[in-house]
Amino acid sequence: MKIDMKKFAAWFDERLALTPIFKYMTKKEVPQHGHSIWYYTGSSILLFLVIQIVTGIMLAFYYQPTLDGANASIARIMTELPLGWLIRSIHSWSATFMIAIVMIHMVASMLTKSYRKPREATWMTGMMLIVVSMVFGFTGYLLPWDDLSLSATKVGTNIPAAIPVVGKWVTQFLRGGDDVTGDTLTRFFIFHVCILPLVIFAILILHILLVQKEGMSVPLKDEVAKRRVPVLPFWPNFVLREVIIWLVLLGTVLTVSLVFAPSLGLSADLMAPAPEGVKPEWYFLFLFQTLKIFPANMGPVTGEFVAVVIILIGIMAVFFLPFIDNKPETKKGRVITYLSILGVIYAIVFSIWSLL
Amino acid sequence: MKLKNAYFTRRKFLNSILGGWLGVVVVSFISPIVKFVWPPYKEPDEVQLALTDYSSMQPGDVKNFAWGNKPGLLKRVADGSFIAWVGVCSHLDCNVTWLPEKKQFYCACHVGWYDENGTNISGPPPKPLRRLEVAVEGEDLFVRKPGAGAKA
Repeated sequence: MKIDMKKFAAWFDERLALTPIFKYMTKKEVPQHGHSIWYYTGSSILLFLVIQIVTGIMLAFYYQPTLDGANASIARIMTELPLGWLIRSIHSWSATFMIAIVMIHMVASMLTKSYRKPREATWMTGMMLIVVSMVFGFTGYLLPWDDLSLSATKVGTNIPAAIPVVGKWVTQFLRGGDDVTGDTLTRFFIFHVCILPLVIFAILILHILLVQKEGMSVPLKDEVAKRRVPVLPFWPNFVLREVIIWLVLLGTVLTVSLVFAPSLGLSADLMAPAPEGVKPEWYFLFLFQTLKIFPANMGPVTGEFVAVVIILIGIMAVFFLPFIDNKPETKKGRVITYLSILGVIYAIVFSIWSLL
Repeated sequence: MKLKNAYFTRRKFLNSILGGWLGVVVVSFISPIVKFVWPPYKEPDEVQLALTDYSSMQPGDVKNFAWGNKPGLLKRVADGSFIAWVGVCSHLDCNVTWLPEKKQFYCACHVGWYDENGTNISGPPPKPLRRLEVAVEGEDLFVRKPGAGAKA
């Protein structure tokens, strides 16, 4: 029997009405200018997200989120299961690549000011996605359940407690009690594999729809001059370039994962003293260093409280940046650009400082 | 339909009744969910230790014990009695360790130091280590939260 593909497609289209989406994709155009390269960061993030989902599901088939099972099950994944060490290594490295490109994506949007009207909501959903990605990293860091990850989690979950009234509740919610225990581990696993994926998908869909709705942002000077920039068809020209970048990134993450596979420390002991060199993942280092430079007490409050408040104000300022920078083409806009660059320099310098 | 002299239409009234009822149903589920998610596990009011495990300690020695899910530190002082602390740093909750050669408590997370009396002397810790009360009763050693009192 010969299947008539045209009829088959028509049958589906009659029911799902997907033609407008395909039509949109073939008609979509991507502006070409000096900053076009940053357009590719979005799809690169999606590549790593897909890698995270696939390798994450594979790991979850064998991982056991319990006090006795966690460290041992990862040891089993790494030593007994075919290529298990590589799957774990890819999951760990791909997380790092994803966060790195998320940061580049954000800094590029910040410096090209593509958050300006009418893309404020796109920027804010993007900020939410960064926070969710970092919480993904934070919860994933505990799961191997070794000395370093236990101490890092104790520190990380204790930080909200510096905020009066609600802080203690947040800490108890994260830990499942007053202390970091086996319940914390199970809880973090459920955050990592159930709650956060639901949240990231909801926000991501909104983010991508907003990008489609408003189209790609063009550089500010072209917009002000009402200049028409040359365009590249999304399909197939832009997608071809994206695929090339995907393959390069895929090769890079595979190579790095093969050569620098993460190790696994001994199973954490709740009673053991904190080990030397407790450090969070690299993308928390600048916050870690910020906390570190504050003195123990500052007048009536702890230095930690002051640091947490300053960090929260900073995050809020970045989140509401489109509203703070509401006249990007004026002098105020230029000042904000310099402040943004200063913020990036601060994050880089503090990260490096924390490693010294 | 809006009756004469009415503040709102019949549709609006019915919408509010239905919406309000749904709201109340949802809210009534919040309390049990919150209670379940925020667990009742708190740190213990007291722990009971066997005196024989600690009677060989010399004055100045420090030994660990389990204070619920975190370490406690038990120290023997010159007159032979015991004092105890919760063994977590007052800065960010890392487990501290006793360094006998320095006679100081040390937290490796952010390099915090406490002297042999548990007083914060250097680094980020804002407060001394938390003190616990110790009582020797027969063959048992009871470590209690300050003010928890003896249980009959």
